[in-house]
Amino acid sequence: MKKIILITLSVFPLTVASAQDATPSPNSSPTPAVSKSTPAAASDVEALRQQVQSLTETVKALQQQVKDQQAVLEKANLVGETGLPANPEPSPIAGTESSPTPEASAQPRFPTEDTSVVTSATAPAVSGTPAPGGFPTADTSVVTSAPETISSTGAGAPLTQPITIGGGRNYMNISFDGLFALAYSSARDLDNIEVGDHDPQQRGFNARNIELALDGAVDPYFEGFANIVFKLDNDNETEVEVEEAFMQTTNLPFNLQLKGGQFFAAFGRLNPVHPHAWDFVDDPLVNGLFLGPDGLRGVGAQTSWTLPLPWYSQLIFASQNGRGSTGFSFRNPGDDGMFFDRITTDREARGLQDFVWIPRWENSVDLSPTQVVLAGVSGAFGSNETGANSRTQIYGADLLYKWKSSHAEGGFPFVKWQTEFMYRRFQAGHGANDSFPVAETFHDWGLYSQVLWGFKKGWVAGIRGDYVDMQDSKFTDDLDRQSRWRLSANLTWYPTEFSKIRLQYNQDFLEENFFLSARQVESIFLQWEFILGSHGAHKF
Amino acid sequence: MKRILLLLAATLTCSFSAHAKLNVVSTLPDFGWLAREIGGDKVNVTILAKPTEDPHFVDARPSFVVSMRNADVLIDGGAELELGWLPPLLQNARNPKIEIGKPGRVQASQGIRLMNVPANVTRAAGDVHALGNPHFTVDPIIAKAVAQHIAQSFSALDPANAAFYEANYKKFEATINAKLQEWGAAMLPFKGQHVVAYHDSWPYFAHRFGVNIDIFLEPKPGIPPSPSHLTEVIAQMKAQKVKAIIVEPFHDRRIAEKVASATGAKVVEFSQFPGGLPGTDSYVKLIDTLISRLAAGLK
Repeated sequence: MKKIILITLSVFPLTVASAQDATPSPNSSPTPAVSKSTPAAASDVEALRQQVQSLTETVKALQQQVKDQQAVLEKANLVGETGLPANPEPSPIAGTESSPTPEASAQPRFPTEDTSVVTSATAPAVSGTPAPGGFPTADTSVVTSAPETISSTGAGAPLTQPITIGGGRNYMNISFDGLFALAYSSARDLDNIEVGDHDPQQRGFNARNIELALDGAVDPYFEGFANIVFKLDNDNETEVEVEEAFMQTTNLPFNLQLKGGQFFAAFGRLNPVHPHAWDFVDDPLVNGLFLGPDGLRGVGAQTSWTLPLPWYSQLIFASQNGRGSTGFSFRNPGDDGMFFDRITTDREARGLQDFVWIPRWENSVDLSPTQVVLAGVSGAFGSNETGANSRTQIYGADLLYKWKSSHAEGGFPFVKWQTEFMYRRFQAGHGANDSFPVAETFHDWGLYSQVLWGFKKGWVAGIRGDYVDMQDSKFTDDLDRQSRWRLSANLTWYPTEFSKIRLQYNQDFLEENFFLSARQVESIFLQWEFILGSHGAHKF
Repeated sequence: MKRILLLLAATLTCSFSAHAKLNVVSTLPDFGWLAREIGGDKVNVTILAKPTEDPHFVDARPSFVVSMRNADVLIDGGAELELGWLPPLLQNARNPKIEIGKPGRVQASQGIRLMNVPANVTRAAGDVHALGNPHFTVDPIIAKAVAQHIAQSFSALDPANAAFYEANYKKFEATINAKLQEWGAAMLPFKGQHVVAYHDSWPYFAHRFGVNIDIFLEPKPGIPPSPSHLTEVIAQMKAQKVKAIIVEPFHDRRIAEKVASATGAKVVEFSQFPGGLPGTDSYVKLIDTLISRLAAGLK
């Protein structure tokens, strides 16, 4: 407070002084020292001159006083941020031109005589509202810019603060993503060839993933996330999906984290990744056919623990309802009440065995400063709806290797190899009310392996191989039970990290089984994407 | 029995904290080297980003989570330069010691007036930073402020060595003050000269040392140079008789070479980070190198 008064005092006579200096004409600034009525006589001028001189002396004395005060304050309170030499001020070259050192040694923090720095550093009250003449500098970085940096969380902003996207001042990050594809396929039933719900589903144009993503800190204890997906079906009707909406803890002790809501299960690499971040236009076969067209996700809770080991090692354990099409291999009543040809039951959970239990353990080490390996094993265990006591178990193993140049620009060049393997044991029961004559246990397995090569800033080439082995059955002619493989190649151009254009070629081979004949399908996709809003950070 | 255990635990933690070095994690090498300057042998500094890679795009690799989980201090820029990779790391680190507002969190840009704060934040202008240009440590006066923040954090967390950190800060400050005269003198003959840079990482450096680094090979920040833009740049360079093009280790040097050969300018390798150029294993050595390279390039 004292400081502010002092400064006001020092600024006021300054303005007065300059006004008087500049004004031989009487009708300019109304200052108490100038008599307005008469034209200035020589003696008046002389008197004024003296007055100005004395005022200048006063100002100097006051400035010195401020400096002294500041020195005392700084000694008393080293932590105070107001005392930081935080401003870019004019070049020290100015200092070298005049006699350089004594000022620097007296005021070691400011190797310059530029008063703008000294004043603004000692008097933040002034720097916010620069009085004319208060800053004898044209240095815009000192005069005009914001008074202080805002932390990226926006902490401290008042509640009435509007959300401004792209800056630090917000309570919530908002982003919007549009993902579209133009598809050609030799098959007339592209929706049977492509196994993911966000994959192109018809010849022509597709808009299967238009996504609104929100996230932010809820309070000091929780973070919240939501992903609302809009998609257009083949008749251009809009469907809405609450893909994810959950909260998670931010600072539990012992490296624990809890999460609750609707979320993607942490099964393998790709399942928890939103479609717009995929490296290919479509879902791998094994993901779509085992974990489901929309991935394995549902309402549930998850706890995770990073082990106190010198390398990255994390245990994740989740439980979800596993009901409906997002619990595809589990309590899924299926399309039209049928799954693998059985009339399904659609029952309330009877006990813990009817939930899906999803454990995962992942480990990562740096092979070198440019190479990282991440390996994980996952499981998903629960019951399914094809019989009174039929169970499903899915086991997964995944491996990721990434090399990135130590001179990477924009994250390029890099090479990334990712593989996932899954095995599913599915007990297909007698159906609702024992309506199906046969109970079978399917042992299905599948994998995909993909290599992405970011060969130039913004450019990525990829190849992928897919295979799914469905146990042949003489009793079940479901289209999803056809063993098949696929080869894909693509080329993606990212003009920036907020847009992409991707061309992909797929060759599909569907193998003959007891009911279905072999097929070969070729497809070409042109995919494009835009992202608006806050920069979505990239998980590894 | 309980009391004995408690006592034992207390002595253990005491003795542990008395001897343990502070674990310091720095997102970028510049903050990390300043931390080494202040912390000396009383701290362990882990730097996440490599000095030779693009600081905008660093992989949030899992090993970084482990480093941050074990950190007593996290130093980040606080100006959105690490926006693409720091948030997921913080989410997974689950380390309350490095939350914003705790003494264990140093946001280097705190209290610093960032330059070139965009009036309108639009991505049509390329990869602009809403809070202002985040490449600020190449201004030695700002580096002093950052170093002081770091010293304050260390002193708060390790009061036993507060005098040591304070003394190191004073030493650093004195060195910079002395060096500023030297650097200023070296750059004085080139005052007002125009210099071309690949990316707009140098406004603070230019401001401090009196050169104009205001022509860029990138048409907009983060957008790769296009032939039409380079034609313009070449014309501009010829008109203003620009003698030097600054490139950083991760930039495509060949593009700069082409422009250089078309204009007779020299390509000068620059780095924002200690360790990004040979023989720059401290902040002062980095600025020394930058000044001497630029002076040689402008001669």
